[in-house]
Amino acid sequence: MPEELILNVKNLSKTYMQGKIQVQALRSASLKVRKGEFLAIMGPSGSGKSTLLALLGTLEKASGGKAILEGIELTSLPEKLLPSLRREKIGFVFQHYNLIPTLSALENVELALRFSGVSKKERKARAKTLLEEMGLGARLTHKPAELSGGEQQRVSIARALANRPALILADEPTGEVDTKNRDSIVRVFKKLSEKGQTIIVVTHDPEVAKECSRVLRIVDGVLSDGEEG
Amino acid sequence: MFDLIFRNITSRKIRSALTICGIALGIFAVIVMGAMSENFHQTFERSMGVTSDKIRIFAESGVFGGGLSNNKVSDVLRVAGVKDAYGLLMTTFDEDKMGMTGKQILGVPPEKSAIALSPVELKAGRFLHPGDSYQVVVGNNIKREYELELGSRFEIHEKYFNVVGILDYTGSIFDNAVIIPLETAQELYNVGDSLSYIFAVPAEGLDAERLSKRIELSVKGTSTLSPGELQTQARQSFMIFSVITISSGLLAAIIGGLCVMNTMLMSVSERTREFGILKAMGAETKDILLLTLGEACLMGLLGGVLGLFVGIGAVAIMNAWLAKTRIVLFLITPRLLLIALLFSLFIGALSGLYPAYRASKMSPMEALKHA
Repeated sequence: MPEELILNVKNLSKTYMQGKIQVQALRSASLKVRKGEFLAIMGPSGSGKSTLLALLGTLEKASGGKAILEGIELTSLPEKLLPSLRREKIGFVFQHYNLIPTLSALENVELALRFSGVSKKERKARAKTLLEEMGLGARLTHKPAELSGGEQQRVSIARALANRPALILADEPTGEVDTKNRDSIVRVFKKLSEKGQTIIVVTHDPEVAKECSRVLRIVDGVLSDGEEG
Repeated sequence: MFDLIFRNITSRKIRSALTICGIALGIFAVIVMGAMSENFHQTFERSMGVTSDKIRIFAESGVFGGGLSNNKVSDVLRVAGVKDAYGLLMTTFDEDKMGMTGKQILGVPPEKSAIALSPVELKAGRFLHPGDSYQVVVGNNIKREYELELGSRFEIHEKYFNVVGILDYTGSIFDNAVIIPLETAQELYNVGDSLSYIFAVPAEGLDAERLSKRIELSVKGTSTLSPGELQTQARQSFMIFSVITISSGLLAAIIGGLCVMNTMLMSVSERTREFGILKAMGAETKDILLLTLGEACLMGLLGGVLGLFVGIGAVAIMNAWLAKTRIVLFLITPRLLLIALLFSLFIGALSGLYPAYRASKMSPMEALKHA
């Protein structure tokens, strides 16, 4: 296993108010992730998996604890610096693909680079290469509605990779695809991990977890060490 | 970013088209009402330019009170500082059209006609001369409408007049003026020696405002309007007219703006998840603002351009139709076009401001959870 520590999470917690009731979605979660790890987080629905991912992706603010990504303390970063951090360090893959329906596959991938100020020419070239690597070279101009679920998820992975992020956070990436596409998506992640890309996947699927280098479990907001895959 | 904005508009074709039509309708109203105001403004400015050096004297009882007569002219002339004075009878040429065409009969003493019409110049012929009775000098629009030349016979109030002079085009009320000798006018309209106004020309270097007050105090039964007062009064009347005409156009444009706001709010609400995705990808608040505000501005601008073309077309059709009756009601100026276009952009931007603010303030996680 590679040695370089990329993510260090210490006592991360998140508390929501649901009306007058306080809900503790994540309780003092701690974990260390090394560069190139393909880490799975498993747990039942409502256990806090997606909350952990949202906190690591700076999509939500933590109620307590620390998360340090490549030396940057995410939890104390001012609001205005979060967009640039998301652009440069984090790539998201969602269960529902979340592609922009009016844009083609190529444009969806390009979009991620647009906000980083990459030139149009380079954007196009990088997006095309990524999609070709995902086996979608013939589907560049297709809109999401013209692509299968598996293809859409591969576009979404390409989009997550566009800015060469330090960390990819995937929330149930195989939740809406058939087994054939699931295996193909997992193969893509494994290949990326072998090349040094760090990936954290939240999943229900033991078949996905089986392919990961390490599996953590979360129950009622409590993260516990799992076994190495 | 423009391609994304354009894509968003074209991806919801019918809704965008309806919104653009809403704005276009508003800008159409601004153009039509504005063109009417511009026409009055231009006529007003030019008319001021050719009449503003004289003091206007009328009866205390008002223009139609009949309190002014020829002997008052001598009283005015006796006031120190008055270089010249003359009486004038003014009436509508086309009584059957209630004066809507703007054509006027001006009865002026023939020997004063050059002063009365100054600084308007002759295009052809001469001014009225002493001894003239059934001679007429016509404004440029009258000449064109009735196809008059020097020597033509021109019927006024069932009498025939000989055209002896044609005025140069001025863009003022004098283009629609029919100038005949004062005595003939008084006889023709059976008003005795009544006058509508007396005009006094101040001696050179004399303060017209002071002289105006002096005339009012010296000549009993009269009120005066100095060039300054006339300008102020006319400008106020013009402003009221402009406010009424332009406001109705603006109101329509504001309704168009509400259409844009409604569309943008719906669009922002429908695209909540999309904004969440963009934020997760690292879009800054300004990027989201630019996307939504740009969309509203572009719709405003497209509506503005459409409204502009439809407005120009409608004004051209109405002007062509009114040309038969010689009523000039609309004038499109570059200033009006620029204002209408900028206003459409402003309305678009203003209407998009709140939806854009809402979109930019969304929490990315909440936006992503949106169904």
